[in-house]
Amino acid sequence: MALSKEDFNKLAVLSRLKFSDEEAEKFRNEMDDIIAFADTINNAVSGGTDDIKSTGTDAVLYTELREDAVKESLPNEKILSNVDGSKGFFNVRRCVK
Amino acid sequence: MNYELVCGIETHIELATKTKIFCGCTTEFGGAPNTHCCPVCTGQPGSLPVLNRKVVEYAVRAGLAVNCTINNNSHMDRKNYVYPDLPKAYQISQFDEPVCENGYIELDSGKRIGITRIHIEEDAGKLVHESGTTYIDYNRGGVPLIEIVSEPDISSPEEAREYAEKLQLIMRYVGISDCKMQEGSMRCDVNLSLRPAGSTEFGTRTETKNINSLSNIVKAINREIERQEDILESGGRVVQATMRYDANTDDIYPMRTKENSDDYRYFPDPDILRFYIEPEFVERTKSELPELPSAKLRRYIDDMQLPETTARDIYKYRRVSEFLDSAVTEGASVKNAANMIIGGIYKTLETEEDKEKFDIKITPVQLAELVKLIDEKKINKNKGQEALSKMLESGKAVSEFIKAEDTEGLSEDELIRICRAAVDENPDAVNNIRAGKGKAINVIFGYVMRQTRGKADMGKVNKIISDIIG
Ligand SMILES: [Zn+2]
Repeated sequence: MALSKEDFNKLAVLSRLKFSDEEAEKFRNEMDDIIAFADTINNAVSGGTDDIKSTGTDAVLYTELREDAVKESLPNEKILSNVDGSKGFFNVRRCVK
Repeated sequence: MNYELVCGIETHIELATKTKIFCGCTTEFGGAPNTHCCPVCTGQPGSLPVLNRKVVEYAVRAGLAVNCTINNNSHMDRKNYVYPDLPKAYQISQFDEPVCENGYIELDSGKRIGITRIHIEEDAGKLVHESGTTYIDYNRGGVPLIEIVSEPDISSPEEAREYAEKLQLIMRYVGISDCKMQEGSMRCDVNLSLRPAGSTEFGTRTETKNINSLSNIVKAINREIERQEDILESGGRVVQATMRYDANTDDIYPMRTKENSDDYRYFPDPDILRFYIEPEFVERTKSELPELPSAKLRRYIDDMQLPETTARDIYKYRRVSEFLDSAVTEGASVKNAANMIIGGIYKTLETEEDKEKFDIKITPVQLAELVKLIDEKKINKNKGQEALSKMLESGKAVSEFIKAEDTEGLSEDELIRICRAAVDENPDAVNNIRAGKGKAINVIFGYVMRQTRGKADMGKVNKIISDIIG
């Protein structure tokens, strides 16, 4: 299924992304390919051969979920090591919803 | 024109787990910014969220407590929106397979407010806006929440308040959250529209976000009704919007209109396995639920014959009701125990929060010891209250403050014991009585009077003595 221009533009707005006309055209085509690829996988899963077929029992049991036990967090410097931070906070340009 | 209110409430409740929903970081309140964080809860590429079992357990408990059915098969979805309180640009939540569905809460009137669903999700981080910068703290990011969505069954501000209050109490009883609205561990969003009375169509609704107290729910709804009525009366139309209520100014205003923002493009989170909640686990959880508030209130009023106001003053604080129940198990009469709590203990606990915490120095056993003295009429209520305030100050037992000689009345057992002693200690007098010398009984009376400091009823003593002597 091809991605329409409207859908592409709407996605861009929702994702806070801005594209030039050429960029938009380029990425829209690339997304078409990505979606086509996902469609292929979908078909394989629902129709497909035994080795990639979903078993339908791929859920974990409640008892296999993670235990509620505290682990040490990362030190603040480490958490902020790749970001623009100050006073222990992540900093971004002011944004108010 | 007359309008009728159509209102539903979405309630977010922070679960009292030790760790976050998808990582082992602590959920402890406070802490220096971004010190309860790790690669998972700050959304670092390549990190892998793993669902906390306790979150599912608490959600199941919450659902069962409000009469929901539990979906055995459930999974997490991504809710996409771009805002820096979410480091991943999506919130991990649930869309089409929430843990719980189709419940209700019954109001005092008997009317049921439907609960559409309860799902689990992660909380967002906290933003502080200062001049040109937004500062972000992700300590709360990833803290587990349940969102409880009601049906639009609420038709007055008072019903809204009662619904929220009952929901809060139920969740406190089942022990999944402290539900403190002021501190944000319980937050209500109110969806509200008006329609001409008798109409069956819905009007355009607005959503008022993050109301932080029960009384503000009533105020915000009243204010929004007024606003929408004004618009409709002047021939305008209500615009779908997210509103904010300012309790200080009693003002309500739109934060943003909802043109595009509802398009969250939910899809199953591929990082998190689907999970299966065994029916046996659901059954066990159901059988382990504590007595719920409505049942407790009925028991206090119907079985224990407490006046309704007294019963309500006690049942609305989980810890207090548990304290009363234990004291009664220890032999205290429910009426006197409840009166000591309300007339005495509550005097030392000024705020609602103090009563909710119920951090007092005495134990239910100690209260029971005191109440039994009142029940047996050994001391009167005033003396009881006096002793209680000393006990509350010191944490000491009632025997520290009330000596045997302070007891005003005498128990039957005590009187019999003293009469027996009088007989044993005065064999000559007993012989004289048996020999028909009637006046000899005065020796026995004198003994009993001394021992009881004049409190004994001589008629009773006469009967007991003749029973003993035969
Ligand atoms: Zn973490």
